[in-house]
Amino acid sequence: MPEIHFLHLFQGIATMVASDPLIAAARILLIALGISFVYLGAKGTLEPLIMIPMGIGMASVNAGVLYLSTKTMGTIFIDPIASGPEKLVDVLQINFLQPIYTFTFSNGLIACLVFMGIGAISDIGYMLIAPVRCMIIAIMAELGTVLTFPLAVGLGLNYKEAAAIAMVGSADAPMVLYASLLLARDLFVPITIVAYLYLSLTYAGYPYLIRLMIPKHLRGIKMDQKTIPNVSPAEKITFSIITGTVLCLLFPVAAPLFMSFFVGVIVREAGVKQYVDFLGGTVLYGSTFFLGLMLGVLFEANTILNPKVILLLFLGMTALLLSGIGGIIGGYIVYWISGRTFNPVIGIAGVSCVPTTAKVAQKEAHAANKFAMILPWAMGACVSGVISSAIIAGIYVTLLQVPSP
Amino acid sequence: MESFEGAVKLMLFIYALAAAISLITAWMIKYIFVVIRMQKSRAEARKSATANAPTQRGAASKGTA
Repeated sequence: MPEIHFLHLFQGIATMVASDPLIAAARILLIALGISFVYLGAKGTLEPLIMIPMGIGMASVNAGVLYLSTKTMGTIFIDPIASGPEKLVDVLQINFLQPIYTFTFSNGLIACLVFMGIGAISDIGYMLIAPVRCMIIAIMAELGTVLTFPLAVGLGLNYKEAAAIAMVGSADAPMVLYASLLLARDLFVPITIVAYLYLSLTYAGYPYLIRLMIPKHLRGIKMDQKTIPNVSPAEKITFSIITGTVLCLLFPVAAPLFMSFFVGVIVREAGVKQYVDFLGGTVLYGSTFFLGLMLGVLFEANTILNPKVILLLFLGMTALLLSGIGGIIGGYIVYWISGRTFNPVIGIAGVSCVPTTAKVAQKEAHAANKFAMILPWAMGACVSGVISSAIIAGIYVTLLQVPSP
Repeated sequence: MESFEGAVKLMLFIYALAAAISLITAWMIKYIFVVIRMQKSRAEARKSATANAPTQRGAASKGTA
């Protein structure tokens, strides 16, 4: 019988003992963090759709470190820095999540798939209730997306990194993923994790912001339901095809996102039930599951030891907070424009994050006045937020990434 | 050269451009919607006019007789 060494048998523990104490501590911290994400996700405190796969991914990847050779440590989950055809073919055959990362993550496909699903479950008709007012709110709700940019530069990030973290203010996680992949590939994992982490907290945090900024009598303003027009599917398709084409024409770099969103909308409005079920169900939830899992698996100890992560955590929170404040200011602007008939709580829905912020707005209005029904307007502001976020992402990427002719 | 002042200027430009494009998009949506609505109501008016026309003609011919 060969001599058996305890540490050779249990390599997860052996690599922890053998590695730098800081790395070992970070691994233990991330395992604990992953477990707490799963717990909080299952409990409903954090968004379970993302947090459960992300948490199990984080715990597993940080526990499952082994010796790949006598001197090299690593995992058989994924190798995000593998490059060159030969190396890539090797890791594709070894790391079990590598095919998903290489073929859907590093090229932004997964963000587009999520966008197709969001399009398939979004009723664009709500935006047609009051497009200009919804867009004023959406633009104001981009305050965090723009103000965080110079702040991040002031704190030492370069323009591309600053723009990537500022996109967290758009509250649209697939958009953050897409923009950070194009602008700051080295930081896309922490930035996307920060985005998903904070977005799952918006449901808990934004109600306090609403209560802080809007008095109860304004939160309970009833909206006139008679002003909601009956929008036919043909009208929605016309709107989608024209808007999608114009936006692709203006920002070719964000064209995959625009196309993905509007193809979802058009399929829904065309009534192709098979595609709607496929995009809004299998594609959306399948992509969200793998997105969460991949982000968790990519969150290794080395990622957290990057000194920029603390800065990203601060900037991400600032971006979302400023966007929330901006959205509510937008709500107030429309409240004044409309002759004080518009419920300013709708402003928070301009932050996007479909449909969470719209639900938050409705919940807060209902808590102030049980007859206040603002959901259709809030959904309109939410959809406008998606469009304005995509426009800002397009501008950032075009200005900072795309070479001039 | 990447500087804070440069970032502030860039931010102002980006925000102004995004606001302009977003609002143009919103106006475009609004007018597409208005045009579709107008065409719809015109078509309905034409339809009802066509539907009423034979009755009026019939009444007129009766009157003449």
